[in-house]
Amino acid sequence: MIPLLILTPLILLAALGAVWKARPVHAALLLALTLALNAILYLVLGADFIGLIQFMVYVGAVAVLIVFSLLITRPGDEAEEIARRPRSLVTGLACSLPVLAVLLFMVSRFETAGSAATDARSVSIEQLGTTLFTTHAPAVMAVGVLLTAVMIGAALFAREPGKKTPTPSDS
Amino acid sequence: MSLEHLPRLPQRLVEMLLQNFGAPEWLVLIAGFLVAASTVVGVFAGGFALLSLVERKTLARAQNRIGPNRAGWFGILQPVADGIKMLTKEDIVPAKAEKILHLLAPIMIVVPAILALGVIPYGREWIPVPLELGLLFFFAVGAMTEVSIFMAGWASGSKFPMLGAMRAISQMVSYELPLMICALGVVMVSGTLSLPDIVDRQGGFHLGFIPAWNLFTPWGLVAGLLFYVCSIAEANRCPFDLPEGESEIVAGHMTEYSGFKYALFFMGEYLGLFAISGLGITLFLGGWQAPLPGLDFVPTWIWFFAKLCTVIFSFLWIRATFPRVRIDQLMRFAWLCMIPMALLTLPAAAIWHFAGRGLLSWVVTVPLLLIPWVIITVIYNKRLAPTLRTYRFAE
Amino acid sequence: MDSPSSTIERLPAPKRPGGWSIPGWGLLQGLAVTGRNMVESYYKKERMTTIQYPEERAPISPNFRNFPFLVFDTDPAADLRCTACSICEKECPPQCIYIVLDRDENGKSLKRPRVFDIDLSVCMNCGICAEVCPFDSIYMDGEYELSTDDRFGGLLFGLDRLAKSAEYHMKLRPEQATEVMARRKAEEEKKAAAAAAKLAKAKADAEAKAKAAAEVKPEEKGEEV
Repeated sequence: MIPLLILTPLILLAALGAVWKARPVHAALLLALTLALNAILYLVLGADFIGLIQFMVYVGAVAVLIVFSLLITRPGDEAEEIARRPRSLVTGLACSLPVLAVLLFMVSRFETAGSAATDARSVSIEQLGTTLFTTHAPAVMAVGVLLTAVMIGAALFAREPGKKTPTPSDS
Repeated sequence: MSLEHLPRLPQRLVEMLLQNFGAPEWLVLIAGFLVAASTVVGVFAGGFALLSLVERKTLARAQNRIGPNRAGWFGILQPVADGIKMLTKEDIVPAKAEKILHLLAPIMIVVPAILALGVIPYGREWIPVPLELGLLFFFAVGAMTEVSIFMAGWASGSKFPMLGAMRAISQMVSYELPLMICALGVVMVSGTLSLPDIVDRQGGFHLGFIPAWNLFTPWGLVAGLLFYVCSIAEANRCPFDLPEGESEIVAGHMTEYSGFKYALFFMGEYLGLFAISGLGITLFLGGWQAPLPGLDFVPTWIWFFAKLCTVIFSFLWIRATFPRVRIDQLMRFAWLCMIPMALLTLPAAAIWHFAGRGLLSWVVTVPLLLIPWVIITVIYNKRLAPTLRTYRFAE
Repeated sequence: MDSPSSTIERLPAPKRPGGWSIPGWGLLQGLAVTGRNMVESYYKKERMTTIQYPEERAPISPNFRNFPFLVFDTDPAADLRCTACSICEKECPPQCIYIVLDRDENGKSLKRPRVFDIDLSVCMNCGICAEVCPFDSIYMDGEYELSTDDRFGGLLFGLDRLAKSAEYHMKLRPEQATEVMARRKAEEEKKAAAAAAKLAKAKADAEAKAKAAAEVKPEEKGEEV
């Protein structure tokens, strides 16, 4: 219980900082911190596998991706960013509130269902994998299709229109 | 107590001492862990000091020089001299730097390397932290390195560190992919993520003398070689040392660091090198298993460190030999050669696992890996290999 | 697309006897080269070409020159070849030479320098001073370990540090020194011969005079008598 009491405020603070910081790099790093703290939360709760995966995928890949895209784009004006804040707050809330509502609904249903709630420690990786690739196979495949589409889209974006990708033989 | 248990002796001693004085159970446990961790850190910090000397000596010999020979007998005190120099140097923080991130980055680069060293089984009796998800833990903490390199590059508030960090991150992300895929094959065949168990599965000998290491299987050979190349790139070593290419971008993300922070970067890099080599040995070279039957009387951790020295020496040899590649060659090599081949090792490992590891497996997996390899090599050589450049105005 | 400054040609793949190239052969060849270096550097003396400087030095070429020095034959105080003629002082392009003529209490020149300073931080090692010296007195040195932590005084060389023996010159530049010594010896002999001739002539003159006097004397005596 004590680790949770320490961790949750930290996660909330880091998340708030990620939203509030005007400098995009600071925000991205705080986001990475939030994700890392979440991973530690999983570890504390006994979900070792998910915790480490969270760390690897979110801190190692997603956060780095965000940070990297910040590096290769031009940073916006900070003052302008702060001036835009009230408007951003509205759009932000409009986007996040429905998500929060859905999440709360799911959690409340999960709580009432009760039967599915098992101790995280007792679930082996094998069980996890089996569930993922049998009962949840359609969802996994949908995510796979989505990611492929994203990749193709990114490749299309990265290619400048009407220009062949340069290779050393013709550069 | 035999030599086999020697590395755990400090931990045992402290635990016994504390129990003698009637310390509570939790204190004994924590003290034991602390001492065990200090053993690992101490061994590899010493290894880092030694390696910094051996590297310079080896490079010197490869270039027909003598190398450091002034400090102490054959330059044996050179690391001490370097350490004193680094410690007494002025610590310069650029005016445009982000002070906190600038300070945090070198620390955050050493921490994951040390954490990663903690899960590797060094001997039958010397496993600092026998985690069930050891491999996953290794990659998870390894993911922190990229964030800290970004922090170093960005917080310095100057162009060269930024460029170096961008190069480093893109390189590490690209090469981490085949690295993990290669490791996945081993996980598939071993059926476990625990590093000590993976080593256990590689015990025994084929035909009485060929060790049953993963390297001596068709998929293991390919995956091991790919892992080797990727680990060079992950450790930012020559010929993939573009992030800190001193002739191009000064020292990459370390440009604005001086004194002890700079030394910390180096330490992180070398500890990372030890960690990734240790992982490679664990996954493909049988960890602490003896290379020949009948050598069981030698403590297992000696085999591990003998393998580690061999692998590290091969890194030094490669550094002494090959020129640095260009960034576009590096990325193209990762995405067009390494990743397809790494992906192929997965079905090969699966066939190996399910087709009984016998003749049938050999017959199926060897062509499965060999034919695409030939195709990739031919395509790469025909279309993408570096071309000879002639300069019209520089003849 | 070729950039205007460069044309690109395919690098020929390294061919093996079989007609096809072994992938990675070049890498192995490279490794073999460095590997051979590593092993052979331990027992082949000719591989280690580096001169371990403070312990050993490269031999100086006879034509190596850096800063000037002054030559004396036996005693730096007494027979410095320099006569303080100041030709080098006037010829020196960066004007790093400073000479004061030594005089006795009557103000008569002693034909030797009282002060002879060369500021090595100014000297540009041109060697003109050595070329113009008519007394074979100033030559270019081979000494190069001159670093000092006193950049004003430490590089201002006076007579005490500039004067070096003829033997040193002989050792540093045997060819030049032999030639100079031979010339000087010849000149000295010529001078000695001239002096001897002069002396002989003087003697002869004196003798002739004496003879004449002797011839005249009897007459005088006779006159006296």
